[in-house]
Amino acid sequence: MQAAKREIAVSMSDISKRFGPVRALENANLEIERGSILGLVGQNGAGKSTIIKVLAGIIKPDSGTIVINGETVTALSPASVEKLGVHFIHQDRLLVPTATVGEAVFLGHEIGFGPFVSRRAMERKAADLLKRFFGMELPAGTLVKDLTTAQQKVVQITRALAQKASVLVLDEPTAALVKREVDSLFDVLRRLRDDGIAVVFISHYMQEIEKLCDRVTVMRNGTDVGTVDPRETSIDEIISMMIARDVGEMFPKRSVTLGAPVLEVANLRLGGGFENIGFKVRAGEIVGLTGLLGSGAKEIVQCLFGLKTADGGSIKVEGKQLSLSTPVKAVRDGIAMLPEDRRAHGVAIGLSVRENISLASLRRYSKSGLVSRRSENQAVDGLIKELSIKTPHRDALVRELSGGNQQKVAIAKWLSCQSRVYVLDEPTVAVDVGAKVEIYNLLNRLAGEGAAILLLSSDLLELVGVCDRVLVVYRGRLAGTFSGPSMNSDALLAASSGARSNADGVAA
Amino acid sequence: MSVSANDSRKVSLRAFLAKYSVLIAFAAIVIFFAVASPTFLTPANLFNVLVNNVVMLAIVALGLTIVISSGGIDLSVGVSVDMASMVFVMLLAAGYSGVVGVGGGLGAALIVGILNAILITRLNISPFLATLGVLFIGQSTQQLATSGGQPIYLTSGYASDQFNAIARTALFGVPTPVILLIVVTVAVHILLHRSVFGRYVQAMGAQPGVAWYSGIRVPRELSMVHVLCALLAGVTGILLSATVKSYVPLSGNAFLLDAIGATFIGTTLSRERKPSVIGTLLGVLLLAIVKNGLLLVGWNFYWQQVGIGVLVFLVLAVSFGLRRATH
Repeated sequence: MQAAKREIAVSMSDISKRFGPVRALENANLEIERGSILGLVGQNGAGKSTIIKVLAGIIKPDSGTIVINGETVTALSPASVEKLGVHFIHQDRLLVPTATVGEAVFLGHEIGFGPFVSRRAMERKAADLLKRFFGMELPAGTLVKDLTTAQQKVVQITRALAQKASVLVLDEPTAALVKREVDSLFDVLRRLRDDGIAVVFISHYMQEIEKLCDRVTVMRNGTDVGTVDPRETSIDEIISMMIARDVGEMFPKRSVTLGAPVLEVANLRLGGGFENIGFKVRAGEIVGLTGLLGSGAKEIVQCLFGLKTADGGSIKVEGKQLSLSTPVKAVRDGIAMLPEDRRAHGVAIGLSVRENISLASLRRYSKSGLVSRRSENQAVDGLIKELSIKTPHRDALVRELSGGNQQKVAIAKWLSCQSRVYVLDEPTVAVDVGAKVEIYNLLNRLAGEGAAILLLSSDLLELVGVCDRVLVVYRGRLAGTFSGPSMNSDALLAASSGARSNADGVAA
Repeated sequence: MSVSANDSRKVSLRAFLAKYSVLIAFAAIVIFFAVASPTFLTPANLFNVLVNNVVMLAIVALGLTIVISSGGIDLSVGVSVDMASMVFVMLLAAGYSGVVGVGGGLGAALIVGILNAILITRLNISPFLATLGVLFIGQSTQQLATSGGQPIYLTSGYASDQFNAIARTALFGVPTPVILLIVVTVAVHILLHRSVFGRYVQAMGAQPGVAWYSGIRVPRELSMVHVLCALLAGVTGILLSATVKSYVPLSGNAFLLDAIGATFIGTTLSRERKPSVIGTLLGVLLLAIVKNGLLLVGWNFYWQQVGIGVLVFLVLAVSFGLRRATH
């Protein structure tokens, strides 16, 4: 890759975009060269996907210039950008599962006469392309849903190539792939680069970036903070570019004495998700859990609430062995869950604050099947006051509350249940900073009252600020446990990207 | 609804209209028919409306109110009505007592409800498609059981007495069907608006994911919902047979659309458009009075349907339109 002159395929400069009060992009720049693989890295929320969506014509930027193949483009749409030769392989497969490979490759550009589609011609041409580019042979008429994830990626890339793509953007293409498939995907991408195609590779996996990319652009807080050559810059340096240092006073201090173990997980295993997971959370302890998308961290949390049933291992709460096959059992056994998708699973926004808070514990407030409004009101009013939930009155609809207060209602539901274990799945996503601090305070108080808290988060600063200990999951296994001085966002990011493991050297 | 002082009056009038559009429509319609037809407000006519048009529809609609509250729908209520009616009449025709007949009829409706529950909670078929399938099967079953849809009339003295015992008696001057409706109304009201079960139903209707994540046994509660709805429809089936002294295949279907209409008219009472027992009853009364009134002023059956359609649009549009404007 020592091309004498750099040929710029796409140049985006001074791109800004606001969503309400949130600055998603602020004067961000991105330059994509022909015949080169560009890595794009940054923490969640750094603006990687926003700038890619701007390029894809999905999001309209507030300001900035985009030049594609020497031409300044003003209004981009997903269709027009494809005509310019820029193609996207999105993270979640976007192929029609019931289509054949031929139909998928030529989707939107069908071969045929007038309104008639020649399926046979498409199958033949698709097979040609697959063989020519990738040496891959598939029986004619194979359905997309019968392909492996890696094969689907290849079909998507083939679709782009069939339309003469000159720029190929891949968003986390390796998240669902096994090692061998990753290697062959990389071979494919290198071949495309050598053919002069500009490749953009977005990944959380630092090792992959180091192995594959010719240049890496690092994003932070909605802007690009630098572009480096990964052969000259170490992973640690790249990671420190990704992390902002101004933590401020977001994380309240606390001091608790830890009690007996409340949640004990041993040897937990889920096929295709994770294996050999074991840890304990003690009364009063806040334990963090983190891992990249597809690492298995999410699935661990789902198993703890009975949303998925583990294939093996044991989960104990206060010494009692649990068999968690549904949330019904988890709730009965004292496990509370704050789900990531608050509106789908956390609070019913069309019900009142009162109805939401008492929903999981109605039996406490009822006699022979009938709800006693007096004892319900009493308990609900108490919790509204205790958590200082800002609501006009207990019968106001949750819809009318702010995000942070909705989240408090979700927490109050479990306080009303007197749950012992709190499993939190990204509790501060889409919550403003002020409410975040309140939620952190609340977690501290819960812990202070002897609850065991497991916090799944991809916000590394949050984990460092709030947790006593952080477990990092990498490709289905515990890659490390961090506490004390070793618990910093550099170390967590490195461990979750597979760059380093077990900084503490001790198991949980 | 908090508003600034200067336009509070306009807004509160709108809010009032939005909230009580059903009641206002109801009052307007009663006044209109009272003027247009001299017989409309006579006790005999009102009594007739109540016993023949309100009670049976209301019981079906109350069952459907439970289902719609849970976020589902039951298109097979007519089948439950018919099955109960058919088994009830067949048992009486075969010389069984009224108690056996009622038990058999309710049992037949129960089977429809259980079938719906299994399709929805075990096979995860959407309520709309599951109950639509049961509707088709139920209709054919009736035709197969009655050699192509022949009604069964009962004229023998004994069986007629059994019918009359249900439909034509009165307690303290109140007809038995009306008493039955009062009992059902109170029971469903308590169940839906006061009980733990009712809360679970509302939660499932508002956001099924939240119900599941709150440890509610969603499949079990949903099964209960569908069984209850079918049973209530079965009660109507028995009342229907007792009133007309026969079983006419597929006659239950007439209840389906009216019951859905009544329940949705009733949702205009709530800001969140939630079904309620009171709302549904008002909806039923509105439909019954419009039908009866149009008949009295000389509209034929087909024009009645047009009238009802327009009425439903008006009530819903006025209520929701005004409500949107106040937000």
